[in-house]
Amino acid sequence: MCRFRVNGAQCAPYGIAIRRRVRTARHYLILLPALICVTPWATAEQPDWLYYGGDQGGRHYSSADQINRDNVVDLEVAWIHRSGDMQRYGDEMEKTSTQSTPILLPPAAGESLVYCTPFNRVIALDPGSGEQRWEFDPQIDRRGDRPFRCRGVSYAEDTSIARGQACRHRLFLGTHDRSLWAVDAINGTPCKQFGDNGRVRLYGEEGHVPGDVSNSSAPVVAKGVIVVGSTVIDFARSKTPRGTVKAFNASTGAPLWQFDPLLGHPDSGSANVWAPMSVDEANGLLFLPTSAASPDYYGVDRPDDGLYANSVVALDLFNGEVRWYFQHVRHDLWDYDTPAQPILFQWRRGGDSVPALAQLTKQGFIFVFNRLTGKPLWEITEQPVPPSQIPGEYTAPTQPKPIAPPQLLDPFLMPEDAWGLTPWDRGNCRKQLASMHNLGLFTPTSETLTLMYPGSLGGANWGGGALAGDSGVLLVNVNNVAFSGQLIPTPAEIESGSSKFDHPAAGHRMRITMDGTPYDIEIGSLQSPLGIPCNPPPWGKLVAVDLQGGIILWERALGSVHEMGPVTAPFDIEWGTPNLGGGIATAGGLFFIGATMDRRIRAFDVDSGDTLWQYTLPVDATATPMTYRYRGRQYLVINAGGHHMFSRGQGDYVYAFALPEEG
Amino acid sequence: MRIHSFWLGLLLVAQTSLGDTLTISNQQGQPLAQVMVTRTPLEVPAADLSDDGYTPHGMTNTSPTVVTRFSDAAGKVSFDASGQDHRYRVRAQGYVDAYFDQLPETLVMQPMSPEQHIASYPSNVWLSQLSFGGDEELKKTFQLNCAFCHQQASPFMRNERTEEQWISVIERMNTYGARLPEDDHAPVARLMQEEYRELRENPDRVPLPRSWEDHLSGIEMTEWPIGDGFSQMHDFLLHPNGYIYIGDNLFDRIYELDPDTGRYTVYKVPHDPDMSLGGIMGNRFKVFPKMYNYMGVHSFAYSKKDGNIFITPSMQQALLEFDVETKKFIVHDMPEGFYPHTIRTDDQDRVWFTLALSSQVAMFNRETGKFKTYDLPARGFMEWLTLKSLPVLFSIDAEKRPTPSPDRESTGLPMPYGIDVAPDGTVWAARLYANDIARIDPETDEITMIDFPYNGPRRLRVDADGNIWIVAFQDSLLVKYDPATEAFTHYELPVVNELPYALNVDRQRGVVWVNGNQSDTILGFDIDSESWKVYPMPRQRFFTRDIEISEEDGAIYTTNSHFPTWQSEGGVPTLLRITPLGG
Repeated sequence: MCRFRVNGAQCAPYGIAIRRRVRTARHYLILLPALICVTPWATAEQPDWLYYGGDQGGRHYSSADQINRDNVVDLEVAWIHRSGDMQRYGDEMEKTSTQSTPILLPPAAGESLVYCTPFNRVIALDPGSGEQRWEFDPQIDRRGDRPFRCRGVSYAEDTSIARGQACRHRLFLGTHDRSLWAVDAINGTPCKQFGDNGRVRLYGEEGHVPGDVSNSSAPVVAKGVIVVGSTVIDFARSKTPRGTVKAFNASTGAPLWQFDPLLGHPDSGSANVWAPMSVDEANGLLFLPTSAASPDYYGVDRPDDGLYANSVVALDLFNGEVRWYFQHVRHDLWDYDTPAQPILFQWRRGGDSVPALAQLTKQGFIFVFNRLTGKPLWEITEQPVPPSQIPGEYTAPTQPKPIAPPQLLDPFLMPEDAWGLTPWDRGNCRKQLASMHNLGLFTPTSETLTLMYPGSLGGANWGGGALAGDSGVLLVNVNNVAFSGQLIPTPAEIESGSSKFDHPAAGHRMRITMDGTPYDIEIGSLQSPLGIPCNPPPWGKLVAVDLQGGIILWERALGSVHEMGPVTAPFDIEWGTPNLGGGIATAGGLFFIGATMDRRIRAFDVDSGDTLWQYTLPVDATATPMTYRYRGRQYLVINAGGHHMFSRGQGDYVYAFALPEEG
Repeated sequence: MRIHSFWLGLLLVAQTSLGDTLTISNQQGQPLAQVMVTRTPLEVPAADLSDDGYTPHGMTNTSPTVVTRFSDAAGKVSFDASGQDHRYRVRAQGYVDAYFDQLPETLVMQPMSPEQHIASYPSNVWLSQLSFGGDEELKKTFQLNCAFCHQQASPFMRNERTEEQWISVIERMNTYGARLPEDDHAPVARLMQEEYRELRENPDRVPLPRSWEDHLSGIEMTEWPIGDGFSQMHDFLLHPNGYIYIGDNLFDRIYELDPDTGRYTVYKVPHDPDMSLGGIMGNRFKVFPKMYNYMGVHSFAYSKKDGNIFITPSMQQALLEFDVETKKFIVHDMPEGFYPHTIRTDDQDRVWFTLALSSQVAMFNRETGKFKTYDLPARGFMEWLTLKSLPVLFSIDAEKRPTPSPDRESTGLPMPYGIDVAPDGTVWAARLYANDIARIDPETDEITMIDFPYNGPRRLRVDADGNIWIVAFQDSLLVKYDPATEAFTHYELPVVNELPYALNVDRQRGVVWVNGNQSDTILGFDIDSESWKVYPMPRQRFFTRDIEISEEDGAIYTTNSHFPTWQSEGGVPTLLRITPLGG
């Protein structure tokens, strides 16, 4: 019985053999699915932007070209929607970051534009007007200190349910309080046949403070299997909750399999999958971007490389078995989670066309693989790295680095490179740098202040990259702010504690007690007494990479710092800003992105990197935009709600832009 | 992929069985000769490393002895019983490394994929294909200034970088001590990007490295890991008392190692409390997590009279003496001269060493306790002026001292480097940047400068017949100078694009031993037959400098002083001995 498809897909009789490859001895298989649709899904009838990442492979690309290089300058606001979160949640908004990318449902599913707010409210809008059609509020448990965020929802069609019946078209949502919901895509009503009246509680028997384990990225649903990762508070404790990835029957919510990236290792936790996952339906492959094992900055209790942390892991979608994996950081001591959705594309080089996967990392590397086999398409070299200075702490002797494309930022920052507005603050930065441990990338944090460049913000982050069609050109927004960190022996009288921040994105320093270890970790951006980063600008940039040529085509500063000083400057200062959120590429030769700390959304020319259009929003838009065609008009939509780590104010806006209507 | 390696490992295990002698074959069942098998103790002796991760002064620890042997024509390799548990690494050119915790009886090696094979080539074959746009002088300038610390075309260096990233690397290296002229930065950055990319696109252009040859089954390699990933075991000394004294140049320590037991005692070189890190030279490595070089421990020689060891402390105006009986250091302050470099002693118990920065040769007379310095001639007025102004320059605080931009001729820095004493007592020194050699007659104090018709004379040695053997660094040559005929003869090295740092002469056996730093080799040149033997190093990125020879059995010793050491395979420096088997 073939049950699930996305609009227009045809299911064949099941029973086609699923090729089994590598089977690890220590994965946690609960239940093999008996009823699985294995038909390649049809793409011809997909609406624009049916998935969080544009497609199941996270290409962030749209074939829409109504808005193009020639007319983008004419873009205007088509409509504005406000979720009402600001009014409803008041001060709690300070703990939010708005990261949701809407999806457009197919006509049979109501053709709504659907997104989630940081409090996991799911809202369906009229794509042409922005009028709200319905809302589903899971009324999450908001206790705890952890921030609220929701990157998106997922859609699938259950073809076992008759047309016109409830929940044939359904949306899936993972929540802050660790529930998986299925709701009717037509009206937002929970699907009674899924779990407990539409809800599967993911905590099981474990139980945690809400937010310690939560969900931020959209679940993945394909071929009747829904898979959820998790966000885990991973730096404040030695042993954190497991980062188990769980798969369920998308129709009933029954568990299918689960995968613990740490293989049950008892002295650690996390290695969770918080970034968006990707699926290759045709080949039955699920790709996991796994994060670091806990605690992020202290590795004495983690004696080995820590498989499968900091990896891209290819699982069999249907049974969770490992097909291949690649660990891009061994024994992480830097919080170099795999931050971005694996990008699935067709590699065309030298006459070959290979199903490929590109993985962006916080280190600023792009690893490219044959996604069926895991074979690197650019040679991966083993780079010797410096050893740890912490007694008993294992350091992997080498770390992998692709021979091409080049690293997206230069990770060496020497005293001579210190930057400042004045000789005074430059001199201060130079002194700071001269006093730090610094052997470049992968210098282990020590009891002496250590340069962390890139810091835990990246490099790349969850915004991922956007592929410009079939060109092999990947556009990536990159953070370029050096951090410094230090392990400080924990005084006995200090109570354990965490931070509301995961990264010191807004210039502050944060000190966190790593429970179960002898150290606190103190991290901050490396800056002068004027609060200006010590590394030269740009502090955020947009990079165009030719994946097949293995080269960088161009780089541009991303963002203006004119609002980041104590007084807003009356003119733009294009030195780039830290940025969170991603961009999208279109067939119109454009790349759209918000993400910056200047409230802007911009359009860049994919070929030249020139800024062709920009618009100032009420608050920072730390979400990835999307675009779609609806009734003959192309819209560009972005969520603008600010980010708690930027400390620049919150909002609850969804903005839609379009070209002026004729007549 | 790891997952594939896992299955490959299982496959290997499936095709092996345990035993005392390993027989290695290829997939066709043919025996594989010259397969390198390295045995490492599983249990590392407990060590007192309580001094910032290092052995405290006067403390004795034991280094785990690592042994490497090669298979013979029948594919067989054996190890002596040791009573310890070991890990074995099996390595052959073109095959995937195999690892075992017990030595199996048989092993079928799995071939590398073409991509793996090319990626495994050592630096020198890659470097050989960089033409620098056909500008041979630029390539030589690059090699002279950029290849004396570490390998140049290792995977670390072959990565795609933007031109800006290359320039950043070059500028950083110039702060560490490289002297690539500023005018060359941009072209070198552009060419490195272009030409490495071109090679990656056309890997078939990279020549095969030299094959390992059958003499290897007649040797054994022994390694003693000492220090850690931040150490630099620069030079060392075989002492007649049976100990080996190794200097950690970055941590002001000497290691007194007993090769029979692997036990070593560490002695820290003392320094005045008001001295700064980096000594009078200033600290060029401020950002390094660990650094303790107030004096610098550069080069070693011993007195034939009392066995005391003399050491050049590069960071000071001084000469160090280590009393091998009392284990005490004596510091001889030097009235002039900068950067004590390579050191030798003569039969008159005089101590000779080069002063690299001030372009001098110094002689310390142990009888009088006085220094005599020999000014080597400047190449022009500006250079003379620069050299004469050094005392003024060094009176300025190191942090504020002006550092002139280097040019291709390195004006102002002829840099006397290697030195040796001939059997007749004559002293010979080479000036790296000036491309000349100096002959000093200790009896008359006469200095004779001889043009060296090649590029980059770093270190030199004199053979039993009084011939001077010199490495021509960026010309990739071994050169002989016959003082009697005043004739130079050069010999091509047996590996392409090698950049030899140093050499030594086995006067008894007539063999010149030369570093193979880019090719992970040591090169042995038989003077009589003018033929070479090549010895692969047991670890990749093994950068050697000093070579010492055991008079007793002809065994040679060297250290891995790749800088930074953590870029070497295994991440720690080792003392290496290559011993002929079977007498």
